[in-house]
Amino acid sequence: MFHQILLQIFQKLNHERTISAAYHILRGKRSGQTIQDIGLFQLHPYFGLLPKLPREVFDETVALFQQYSWLEVQASGHYSCTKVGLQRAAQTPEFLLAGWYYRGNEHLFFGRLSLIIQSLSYHQTNTRSFTPISKDIHIQAWVRQFLLEHHYQQGHLQKQLWAECEQALKELPVCEENKQLMVYRLSGHQLPGWTWQQLAMERKETVLDCQLAFIELLHVWLNSIHGYPLLQQIAEGVRVQALLTDSAQQTAFLYEQGYSIDQIAQIRKLKQSTIEDHIVEMAMYEPNFSIGSFVTYGEAAKVWQASKQYQTKKLKILYEVIGDMSYFQLKLVLAKGEV
Amino acid sequence: MELEQLLVKHFGYTSFRPGQREIIEAILEGQDVLALLPTGMGKSLCYQLTGYVLQKPVLVISPLLALMQDQVEELKRFGEKRVVALNSFLTAHEKRYTLHFLEQYRFIFTSPEMLLQQQVQDKLAQMELGLIVVDEAHCISQWGFDFRPDYLRIGQWLSMEKRPPVLALSATATEKVMHDICQTLSLNRPFEFIYSVDRPNIRLGRMMFSEKAEKAEKAQWALQHMTTSTGPGILYVASRKRAEQYSQALLQAGVHTAAYHAGYGAEDRQFIQQQFLDGELDWIVATNAFGMGINKPDIRQVIHETMPANVANYMQEIGRAGRDGQPALAILLYADGDEELAKFVATNDLPTAHHVERYQQLQQQQLLPSQMLKNGEIGETAFRVLDYWLQQESVEQVVQRLNELVVEKYRAVDEMQKIITTKACIRTQLLHYFGQHLKKQPVQCCEICGIQYEDVQQERRKQVKDIAMMSWQQRLQQLLLGT
Repeated sequence: MFHQILLQIFQKLNHERTISAAYHILRGKRSGQTIQDIGLFQLHPYFGLLPKLPREVFDETVALFQQYSWLEVQASGHYSCTKVGLQRAAQTPEFLLAGWYYRGNEHLFFGRLSLIIQSLSYHQTNTRSFTPISKDIHIQAWVRQFLLEHHYQQGHLQKQLWAECEQALKELPVCEENKQLMVYRLSGHQLPGWTWQQLAMERKETVLDCQLAFIELLHVWLNSIHGYPLLQQIAEGVRVQALLTDSAQQTAFLYEQGYSIDQIAQIRKLKQSTIEDHIVEMAMYEPNFSIGSFVTYGEAAKVWQASKQYQTKKLKILYEVIGDMSYFQLKLVLAKGEV
Repeated sequence: MELEQLLVKHFGYTSFRPGQREIIEAILEGQDVLALLPTGMGKSLCYQLTGYVLQKPVLVISPLLALMQDQVEELKRFGEKRVVALNSFLTAHEKRYTLHFLEQYRFIFTSPEMLLQQQVQDKLAQMELGLIVVDEAHCISQWGFDFRPDYLRIGQWLSMEKRPPVLALSATATEKVMHDICQTLSLNRPFEFIYSVDRPNIRLGRMMFSEKAEKAEKAQWALQHMTTSTGPGILYVASRKRAEQYSQALLQAGVHTAAYHAGYGAEDRQFIQQQFLDGELDWIVATNAFGMGINKPDIRQVIHETMPANVANYMQEIGRAGRDGQPALAILLYADGDEELAKFVATNDLPTAHHVERYQQLQQQQLLPSQMLKNGEIGETAFRVLDYWLQQESVEQVVQRLNELVVEKYRAVDEMQKIITTKACIRTQLLHYFGQHLKKQPVQCCEICGIQYEDVQQERRKQVKDIAMMSWQQRLQQLLLGT
């Protein structure tokens, strides 16, 4: 699954970026460039899937792709997919990932769920003492509150939670093996979970692929959690509401108060280009944001025409072809999308 | 109320374990106490029960955050609500709140780092504490395997004028380390309780291999032994890689096994521990990361695939066998030349003169020395040690000190080797190392005195427990509905 995901990303960024861009996307790097790439190339599913992915693992995979002749990488890090590579990418299944909206928070959801289920399982057998599976004291506090609020001692909670999980999982458009995978990451009284390695051996795949299948299942589950009151509560605050980076949000606040880019740069003691990146971010993710004060309609049309003609979103090429627009303006037009 | 009554009331036990009563009584008389009690012998009860007699807050300083959390949860399980952990896990808001109401808690757990903060010290100075407990006190000694520089600084704090009694607790310590503890904590003629380190029900086995054939032969012997006899048992190895190799080989031979080392995530490590406790695993192949907090009474065998770095580690690791008092077996596999590997492992993560240089270099460039840690140039413990000493002493002194540290680690390996290659009773030698004498020799003593392996190791049964995967529906039902 990791190979397939990586192929898909490489396909979408073909000719346009360096190898590293894919790495930053998977790790969820919060830089202007990566954030803009997400919007430009429609990479939302993959953002921040593997925040801890070691560079070695990524590089090894890239080397493997070269060995398979799927990729050709230049010394500068720029690359292109070969015909075989593109064929392979076309054969990959469509994943139901939603990295952009969860950004690792799916693990918060699972952390809560798994501690709740562990607590209920031990409670069922009247075992009062156990080692909580989550060491995070904020998750522990949240779960304690949840259990008390639902009067867990009366015995209704586990029945209701079971019914919700059973029903919700039954309806998920995910294969049975992956549902099984997820419940084996849960643990309870005399029901230890299975380690990633144990699961990988059973499923005859790599640990990383197991973890990705697990993440995909959580994303799908979270997307369809509406209508399940308990699960919905457990998923509270998990979906990212503010899609802008924190810093861009501060810029947005000042911008809405009528400050110019120059003024914002001065107030925030940041470079003008950084503020411009924030504005681009806003153009991308705030549907009502108008780029009219920076670019005319005619200019925007010109950019799209050039982009089509030369089959690229590469700024450098567009900049040279068009001649009289700044990089900032080009980025804005591309970020806003074709009207 | 009598101590026994309090014991029943708060903890549900009807009698004390060896040492507990003596230790508690000494504290109540206002004495400082140094207590060496092995894990699983009720160390914590010594201050827990005292807390109910004193009616003044007990401050417990504990260097390991994970352990601290366990202790807090243990007290909560016994129904104690007035217990708190004041550590870096708290948010700023929680910390302010906790500090504000600090005197209302009966048990306050904190870390050395936290204790050094001015606001914490100020608050504590206004309170009247009943007892100060220093847990894992061996961490104070720089010769210990997990030296914590911040622990040294506590010594300064403890030298304040009017202070309550101090209880220093540890599971293992040599005479040298005990001396360090007393001096650093400025214990005032402490009452010492030292539990005998001898574990008569553990047979001390040893297998010698020649250097040449070492790896293959040893591995062959270990695999043969583990596939034909049953655990529950632990095989200690020197590296993560080796742990993986052994567990793979055993799994292929159809033995329920899991590797355990610090390379796994926290959940995975807990899953393995629980599988082991629940009897789903026969063998754990582990680095020395395994064991902290593990309390499984029926571990029958502990095998060392290569020699441990020092005698204290060895005792602690074999001490996990036979907690139920039934016969257990410890086997140490030794090949000529193993001490070289042990020396390498023991000193591998120590800071070196090169690190001292880098540290200075970064400082001169006005960069944070902690960059070395971020870049992965140095391990966490090593950086902590380096950082501490370079703030205290001159560069020459620190380099000198680091050299001494290496020499000391080498010496510790040599001592271990001496005991392994001895022609005299191994048990007597081990006790001697801790400054103790063997009172009564068990019939099944050690390799030299002659022991039987057979009646401890049972023949391997076919399947320990059926652990084929269930459908997700079944498992979900078992988890939540118990059926």
